[in-house]
Amino acid sequence: MRLLIIEDEPGIAGFLKDGLEEEYFAVDIAYDGKTGLDMALINEYDLLIIDWMIPALSGIEVCRQVRKAGNPVPILFLTAKDTLEDVVFGLDAGANDYIKKPFEFEELLARIRVQLRNKNQNDDSLSAGILTINPVTHQVFCGSNEITLTPKEFALLEYLIRNKDRVCTRSRIIEHVWDIHFDSDTSVIDVYITFLRRKLEAAGAGNIIQTIRGVGYIVREPGVS
Amino acid sequence: MKKKTQNALLKGQPPTKGWSVMSLRNRIAFYYTIATAFLIAIVFTTIYFMVEKVVYKQFDDEIKSEISEILADSNISIHNFQGFAKIRDIDDAHNDNDHDDKSQKKKKFPVDTDFIQLVNSTGEVMNKSASLSWCVLAFNPTHSGTAYFNSNFGGTMVRQAQVPLTNQQGVTEGYLLVAMPLKNALIVLHDLQKIFFFSFPVIILTLFILTRLIAGKSIQPIEKVIATAEKMSQENLDQRIPLPYHHDELYRLSATMNALLDRLEDAFMREKNFTADASHELKTPIAVLKGTLEVLIRKPREREQYETKIQFCLTELNRMGRMIDQLLLLARYESIKIKPHIETIALSRHLDTVIDRVRPAALTKDISLTVDHAENAMVAADPGMLDMILENILSNAIKYSPSGSLIAIVTERTTNAIVCRISDQGIGIPQEKLQAVFDRFYRVDESRNSSTGGLGLGLSIVKKLADLQQIKISLESKEKSGTSFSLTFPVRGFNS
Repeated sequence: MRLLIIEDEPGIAGFLKDGLEEEYFAVDIAYDGKTGLDMALINEYDLLIIDWMIPALSGIEVCRQVRKAGNPVPILFLTAKDTLEDVVFGLDAGANDYIKKPFEFEELLARIRVQLRNKNQNDDSLSAGILTINPVTHQVFCGSNEITLTPKEFALLEYLIRNKDRVCTRSRIIEHVWDIHFDSDTSVIDVYITFLRRKLEAAGAGNIIQTIRGVGYIVREPGVS
Repeated sequence: MKKKTQNALLKGQPPTKGWSVMSLRNRIAFYYTIATAFLIAIVFTTIYFMVEKVVYKQFDDEIKSEISEILADSNISIHNFQGFAKIRDIDDAHNDNDHDDKSQKKKKFPVDTDFIQLVNSTGEVMNKSASLSWCVLAFNPTHSGTAYFNSNFGGTMVRQAQVPLTNQQGVTEGYLLVAMPLKNALIVLHDLQKIFFFSFPVIILTLFILTRLIAGKSIQPIEKVIATAEKMSQENLDQRIPLPYHHDELYRLSATMNALLDRLEDAFMREKNFTADASHELKTPIAVLKGTLEVLIRKPREREQYETKIQFCLTELNRMGRMIDQLLLLARYESIKIKPHIETIALSRHLDTVIDRVRPAALTKDISLTVDHAENAMVAADPGMLDMILENILSNAIKYSPSGSLIAIVTERTTNAIVCRISDQGIGIPQEKLQAVFDRFYRVDESRNSSTGGLGLGLSIVKKLADLQQIKISLESKEKSGTSFSLTFPVRGFNS
């Protein structure tokens, strides 16, 4: 899952990046509204975290422009403004949720998960075949056996399962699992896929990740193929 | 009691008794009507009495000529009265001299004729005209000399003259009484009275209604003022009173109130912005500290990582501490009326001290400071406050100047002041933002990040302190080529 944080205060952007990366998110940071808007429109993010008071272009304006471009990406507002009018104004501008500074990091995580949850999903857990993964605790189970994965492996598997039965192109995988500082050498995906397959097969989940030659990878619900 | 009334007024509830509930238009109409009623009453009364006087005067003149006629006809001499026996029938004598047709008429309507009566000194009727028939004219022995008065006989109001008849010795032996019926005159006077009595309330009432209308019309702008003021509240200060067409007192009132509202709105806006800014400025470091520490303790980490993060938190805490100090300072200067301890001090000495204090910061950026003192420049200022002003301006200059640039400090005398100019070659301030730099939390660079370490409070403190000491502070700047602060010290500090 790849997030964009638009926040001018380096202290806040810093700990958000640190904390979210520890939660297996790929995190990009923009320090002003204009850069942030460009990044949000060019790259494909799973969630935007936008501060209201940012230079060049206000958070509200960024939010409006993103919506105007027809981008349905979930947007979380993050700001010190705390009056009722401000909250309503922010949500009306197109934000999905609103969190006031100072905030609890755990609360932010929970709110991010809410935004990433599929519409017909009751809890946060994802599954494919006998594989279940829990994005809160970052655990992967094959039946009742837990499989230990590295953060990148987990992020890769999570992305594939969230998009199961759809082909994930190599470029999209790079965009969503790695952050912007990663150079576009996509062969790193193959390395991680190899690691993942090895671990999943050892746990008895079978080869659920299939290669679409020249395009990317896909996770299929057994029986559908 | 007075306090109570004041409270009631403050709460917008007018006292419910007495004149005070009367609206202004009613009061204007009321006072105007009272004054006019008084005036009209005087005019009416005067007119009435003048008319009455003129009427009676005419009667009296007529009676007078009648008397002389009677006297001539009856061979009576007022001052040589020789007894009643000598008098012929006064009625006949009088009537004989009249035209026949007229005397015929008079006999038919005895009321319209003149009445003549002779009485002796005791009031006994000696002779009287036939027109009186059985009636007697009233005799009033208290009058001495010829007297004219109104009297009443047989239900007829008459104007009557009473002429004393004296003999040669000067003793009054009798009186000649001549009366004329007042009927027509009385009708005129009564009509006049009636007209006055009925027209008075009508005039007054019409006047009151008209005045009330006119007063209402002329104070209509006040209603607009009230309506606008009622709509106004702290959240809604953008309403303005529509200006009346005529440039009169109400126009001035409205314009003055609008100007007051402008100032109020401005003040409220500033206050609102300040609160919003202060909450942002204070909450951000808290959010940074909280978030950093929360993320830090979520997982076990290397010792080095802890140290870096804690170091970071300490820096952030220091910054916050500095901001709280400055905010408190600002709040203190604004809430209490602090009186500066103005002394006559040597500007150059204070400049040197402050320059020494900021020199280390300048050296790290390789900025050179040049000082050019005017000879013996003594200024009137509070030493502590002056130091704070100078230090703030100088550290600002250092903060926003590129490495290796120059900051020039020049003090000079003008004809009536001492001016201290601090010029840098820094990034400058855009023209449109020159005035705003003294606002609290204002920073020209809109990204409120802490890369320059500025809090946006320094210059507002400088301005506050300068205002307290009547030091004029002005600012010139050219973007990308530098800023120049001028402190103009009041003339009393000029000591040469």
